[in-house]
Amino acid sequence: MAPRGDHAARALPLLDARGAVDHAGAAARFNADAERTGWHDGALWFVREKRDRAAASVPEWETLRDLASAIKTHTLAHLDEYLERFERAATARGIVVHWARDAEEHNRIVHAILAERGVRRVVKSKSMLTEECGLNPYLNARGIEVIDTDLGERIVQLRHEPPSHIVMPAIHLKKEEIGETFHEVMGTPAGLSDPDLLTAAARAQLREHFLGADAAMTGVNFGIAETGGIVVCTNEGNADLGTALAPVHIASMGIEKLIPRAEDLGVFLRLLARSATGQASTVYASHMHAPRPGQALHVVLVDNGRSEQLGRADFWGSLKCIRCAACLNTCPVYRRSGGYSYGATVSGPIGAVLTPGRDLQRYASLPFASTLCGSCTAVCPVKVDLDTQLYKWRQQVAAAGLVPARKAWGMRRLGALLADAQLVQLAGAVVRTALRALPSGVARRLAGGWGRTRTLPTAPKGSFRDWYRSNRPRS
Amino acid sequence: MSARDEILRAVREARMATFGRSALPGLPTLPKTRADDDDARDVLVERFTAATRAAAAQVDHCQRAQVDALVRSWFPQATQMFSMVSDVPGNVELPSDPHVLRALDLFVCEGEIGVAENGAIWLPTSRLGMRAALVLAHDVVVLLSRHAIVRDLHAAYSAVDVSAEAFGVFLAGPSKTADIEQSLVIGAHGACTTRVVLLDD
Repeated sequence: MAPRGDHAARALPLLDARGAVDHAGAAARFNADAERTGWHDGALWFVREKRDRAAASVPEWETLRDLASAIKTHTLAHLDEYLERFERAATARGIVVHWARDAEEHNRIVHAILAERGVRRVVKSKSMLTEECGLNPYLNARGIEVIDTDLGERIVQLRHEPPSHIVMPAIHLKKEEIGETFHEVMGTPAGLSDPDLLTAAARAQLREHFLGADAAMTGVNFGIAETGGIVVCTNEGNADLGTALAPVHIASMGIEKLIPRAEDLGVFLRLLARSATGQASTVYASHMHAPRPGQALHVVLVDNGRSEQLGRADFWGSLKCIRCAACLNTCPVYRRSGGYSYGATVSGPIGAVLTPGRDLQRYASLPFASTLCGSCTAVCPVKVDLDTQLYKWRQQVAAAGLVPARKAWGMRRLGALLADAQLVQLAGAVVRTALRALPSGVARRLAGGWGRTRTLPTAPKGSFRDWYRSNRPRS
Repeated sequence: MSARDEILRAVREARMATFGRSALPGLPTLPKTRADDDDARDVLVERFTAATRAAAAQVDHCQRAQVDALVRSWFPQATQMFSMVSDVPGNVELPSDPHVLRALDLFVCEGEIGVAENGAIWLPTSRLGMRAALVLAHDVVVLLSRHAIVRDLHAAYSAVDVSAEAFGVFLAGPSKTADIEQSLVIGAHGACTTRVVLLDD
């Protein structure tokens, strides 16, 4: 079943004639509903403010960010050694470790484990990696039902939509829309939109799924190289319910999720929940170091483009990311264009630096989905230099000839203009005159995108150059 | 070449291209929690209490001898009660199949260590008996000695070996979600209430 309804259709990537994601077009579509855009913006800003309060409550916050960045940098610089160490330690504890070069191999491995046991139904807690790999449709096509159990992921699953945010998958939906979906799919009373009651309904239904599942899947927040254990953080307890009940647990883990030592978690867990939701800790931070008696525990280590990213001098730093989504919540473009406008599993600033390396042509517009204001970099708990990487991807997009012709022409003209002092002075005079002479409606139209929702400034009498000449102190 | 070897080779080549072969970035030494005035027992207990309440758990305190009566006064209706604490006897035996605990009303356990900065309590398998109990029970009571509270997570990871047992969890409050319009709902998939009892003796 395809996404339903007008709004649900917007969950699909908007592609241009060449099959590339049209971020600006999708953002314009999102902005067509100004009230809703403002609501979305406000919901994310609310989370950003909670994050600010949580960060400010830790005096050594900046030291923690430095440490987290240094630990991740060290780990990535020795990643092959730490991967081997993790494999050795995990195997010694009875965890079965698998290696997947790409999404297809990951899905094949997971399916083989499930098929061998005759699994029909899997409960899955939040994992962006399995989204990235397209695991759900792969298993569905082979007769295995996958039930997403994180409430937000369950909501979007019932609507046949992907998550629009990596931490809050249903942040784009209003409670009335969720109530309508629950009414249609789960039979809750029509018009029910109270979050407590909707959550209770989902809890009751998912509890039965947990109890009846043949297997549980989770993502991994951190893999500990020295001990061979994995850490999974949730607020809802869904990862724990699934893995504490099912006879088999499969954890999918990107190879960049490793940290060297257990005590490094002291740094990362202090940063993660505070950055993500403003909580001091998630409700559950579960450390799994061996299967339960009678249970099988599998960890699938997935590359899928990560080793390639590690070799990119300008972009390896994106692999430090711990997926807190603080950069999404603070981004003025994400907040006003929505997760679906990026047409990628991971959206927002981090998505815009992780995704172009996978297919530069398809994702050429993503590095431009930014004002380069640097707010993302300022809030990142592991100090990924997101705005610098966005800027560097723009250079690569331009070098590959993937900037739209009109924009490329405009940028060349602008470059020539700005390189010529006399032309700059002339242009300034023309604009000042136009601002004074033209009706504001006309001037705004001429100002293009910038004028669409802005009042243009009042033209000053002369240029700064003129002012400086007549006012500079004479020695 | 196997997937494993191919990935390891690709990773090795990539990290050498990025970082070179020598002078690789070192692993930093972690901060040791300083012992200072803030570590006064009363200060730690006060901070822990505030953080636990912020995580939507209730906090009480009493002597160990009183805890049974206290817990029973809170949950007089609890029909199925599983306890890992001998002072508060339950009526459900530790099963071999976790599904047996599906209708569990109340679970009682005792934490190993509490963290003042975030209200989290370390509960390894030996304290949980069966880890499903923690998330299947409607209500959870966690006892904690007031002397088992440390300042922050760095101190907690120094104090416990998280790899000593198959499973362990830092628990902070009842399960919760804000996935519907950012409205906080207590009682997502796990426990609907969590009560922490600090033991004074």
